Amino acid sequence: MDIAFKNEHLFVGDLGRLFVALAFGGALISFISYFFATREESLNKDTSWHKLARVGFWLNSLAIVGMGVCLFMILYNHYFEYHYAWSYTSRSLPVYYLISGFWNGQEGGFLLWMFWQAVLGNILIRKAGSWEKPVMTVIALSQAILGTMVLGIDIFGARIGSSPFLLLRNAMEGPIFQNPDYLSFIKDGRGMNPTLQNYWMVIHPPTLFLGFASVVVPFAYAIAGLWQKRYKDWVKPALSYGLFSAMILGTGIIMGAFWAYESLNFGGFWAWDPVENASVFPWLTLVAALHVMIVFKNTGHSYFTATFLVLISFVLVWYSSFLARSGILGESSVHSFTDLGMFWHLVLAIIIFLVLSIYFLVVRWKELPITQKDEDTYSREFWMFVGAVFLALACFHLIVVTSFPVWNKMFGTELAPPTNVVKHYNIIQACFAVVIMFFTGLTQFLKYKKTDSKVFVITNFVYLGFAGLLTVLIFFVAGLSKLQYLYLVVIFTSLYSIMANGKILAEALKGKFKLAGSAVAHIGFGLMLVGAVIAAGTSKVVSENNTGEQYSAEFAKEENPRENVLLYRNEPIEMNGYSVTFLGDTIEGAQHLFNIAYERKDKDGKLVENFVLRPNVIQSQDGMSSSPDTKHYLTYDLYTHVTMTNVLQNKPEEEKGGHDEQQDDDKNYDAPMTHEVGVGDTIRYRDGVIVFKGVNKQAKLQNIPLTDKDVAVGAQLEVITHGRTINAEPIYMIKNGSAFDFPKKLEDAGLKLRISKILPEKQKFEITVYQQPESKKQFIVLKAIQFPYINFLWAGVVIMVIGFLMSIFRRNKELKTT
Amino acid sequence: MKKSSIFGIIIIAIAIAVVISTYSNSSTYGTFTEATETQAELHVVGQLNKGKELYYDATKDANYFSFFMKDKDGKECKVIFTGTKPQDFERSEQLVLTGKMQGNEFHASKILMKCPSKYNDNKLNVAEATPKTANL
Repeated sequence: MDIAFKNEHLFVGDLGRLFVALAFGGALISFISYFFATREESLNKDTSWHKLARVGFWLNSLAIVGMGVCLFMILYNHYFEYHYAWSYTSRSLPVYYLISGFWNGQEGGFLLWMFWQAVLGNILIRKAGSWEKPVMTVIALSQAILGTMVLGIDIFGARIGSSPFLLLRNAMEGPIFQNPDYLSFIKDGRGMNPTLQNYWMVIHPPTLFLGFASVVVPFAYAIAGLWQKRYKDWVKPALSYGLFSAMILGTGIIMGAFWAYESLNFGGFWAWDPVENASVFPWLTLVAALHVMIVFKNTGHSYFTATFLVLISFVLVWYSSFLARSGILGESSVHSFTDLGMFWHLVLAIIIFLVLSIYFLVVRWKELPITQKDEDTYSREFWMFVGAVFLALACFHLIVVTSFPVWNKMFGTELAPPTNVVKHYNIIQACFAVVIMFFTGLTQFLKYKKTDSKVFVITNFVYLGFAGLLTVLIFFVAGLSKLQYLYLVVIFTSLYSIMANGKILAEALKGKFKLAGSAVAHIGFGLMLVGAVIAAGTSKVVSENNTGEQYSAEFAKEENPRENVLLYRNEPIEMNGYSVTFLGDTIEGAQHLFNIAYERKDKDGKLVENFVLRPNVIQSQDGMSSSPDTKHYLTYDLYTHVTMTNVLQNKPEEEKGGHDEQQDDDKNYDAPMTHEVGVGDTIRYRDGVIVFKGVNKQAKLQNIPLTDKDVAVGAQLEVITHGRTINAEPIYMIKNGSAFDFPKKLEDAGLKLRISKILPEKQKFEITVYQQPESKKQFIVLKAIQFPYINFLWAGVVIMVIGFLMSIFRRNKELKTT
Repeated sequence: MKKSSIFGIIIIAIAIAVVISTYSNSSTYGTFTEATETQAELHVVGQLNKGKELYYDATKDANYFSFFMKDKDGKECKVIFTGTKPQDFERSEQLVLTGKMQGNEFHASKILMKCPSKYNDNKLNVAEATPKTANL
């Protein structure tokens, strides 16, 4: 341990660790002080606890910013003596990806979470007024617990948290670290996982973490309401923050879906992966909570459900983070993190917030404003409540299925998720969607408190009828015959909801502007569901392949999808009305782009449309990763990605070069064929024809000067292959009495042409044709999927976010007027 | 009875139905031996036999990939996957296959790979460090 290591930059790490400790200490002080400040509020006018609490929180906020700066310095300056920099970045990474390298690891994720929580905390200190002390107690507690996650210190042999400032030599073992000069051997970091090198990865995690972090605010209000016995007041401010949180979290989740769709290769926007599902849990319960909170605010009913849903949302944020970070999903998820040794640490965090919630509910149980009066069946609140509970039930189902590994661990069982888990989720969640969408429509025709039942039934039938007609129309226009009955019902109820909310929106524009926000959000959500169901349900693999040479008979029986087609370079194939050609590859920075030309012709053979898609294959130290490229149309998307290629392994032969290797070079081709041809003759070969156009008697060679006695003859050949014409001129030369020949290679066509002999007596040339074997030719294996009407999904999301924004403004206005 | 109580009962009933339907839909982690005994699809966990040939030749058939896997009991079986060879397949530490037996071959409809993680890989050996000096 006494080795004096060279060239290390220890200062920035030490500073970072100091900030880590300060952040934790500050949060702890703030929590304790806020706790006493809240308790002693009524007793005396002494504000010292309160002052100390604020100072603690500010210290925490500053330390978090300090941590961020230190970490960024490490990444920016490529200090690979730090594990974090070495693991996630490399020198070739552009600066904007260095920023995303920041939250590439779990420690960075926690840092981001702490940062947002600090921002929210500071806003609350300014704005919360009489709520500041109890609310900030909870937030400071949460901040302190997050602080422990990045501590990275050993206590009694157990590591608490994982620090982003860990040194490489402390993180790993290896003989290399015996060398004081080990850093000179570590020239570069391992680099970022190629799938994360995407601009969406720069903005998706901060958004998602802001969403996660902001759930703490309604939670803190709910706890504070119980603690301070202010059972009614907490709803108003919590509603505004809750709306904000649901908006941001929803946006973050959809950004993730969009990222997956744009740059991952599983071919879709949602895969029901456990990590994806986990991010939806808190969103569903939070949206349910918002509805029940409004019910409670308007009627005084459902206090318990509102509080419960708010509390559980934050517990689920922690549960979701446990699922993603503890490594427990190992066998069922593709992109969960592995255990950093924080399994029990995360469990403890969940338990703390769960126990806190249960404790307050139990202690205050007798005082809770639970009404005994029954809700009116024809009131809007009652059905809003029912709809919200179904939303929570949908979440319950997601949790049950996603948590299979957790159940196995808890009960010692060996259950596996359903074999066709996607279908399972689709069907059950679609059932819930039908019910929920029906209620979001139905409630629009009800008034708060009491509605006239006759008018209600009639208008409902009218709207349902219109929705039915529209569904039939869409069925024929979009060609939904492939879709299962259940999904048609989802579309039907979504349309019903869209129309019902459309009516509210129309009325709102006339004057009752208050309800516009929820109407817009509901319309957006409905549109999103319609888009998702149509796009996912009728997506079609257009690269269908029924040509497998070897095994087709065997497979034909099973009707297995054969979704990948082979494309040789410059050999077009027909695919779903397009003529598709692999033109070649280009390297742009870290990207390896494959240019694939799509052409569509009308009946007369006129070119109607052509474009080039450029899916990307990134090769990094950890392997290859392929991201798709998508052509967006108004009514559908054409998605293309490379599943396999030999281009990366079979580098073009020109690098080898040199005459000595001519013999070797021939090995790259199939056995040559010789043809005796005269001018005007045609040679047939596997991929086309070669026409002998004429003889060039003044052929010239670049480096070889010719004297009068020497003769150089070129054969002007025209190669016609797959609709393209390429000219080639191999040369035959007699210099100083000896004969040489200079073959012509056509890399694009996989050909080498050579004049092996000249037969003057016959007026003919002997041309030798070398063809690359099929496997040596450059090829890609391609998968292309068509997603119809996916724009409804994205448009729906945008509209929903606008709706949330409108609601936030409305609730904020209410907050100010009271 | 109060409406809210009826509603409560309905909710509990639905919750129970969800649990039961999920449970009945669940599958098991089995072995190849168990797979031969059933017609249903199941999950088989095992390791890739890196000693035997991984067959994938896009030029012959872009949708045929076969390999050999050893299950938890050590039984080896040929596995056929209709699709391209997953990226970095050779590096996998553990495989979870979903599919069923057909004759002597296991036909996988889904392959989940577990690759050596950056976190687990807590040893930096010199073999890994040396090539780095080369790309100065």
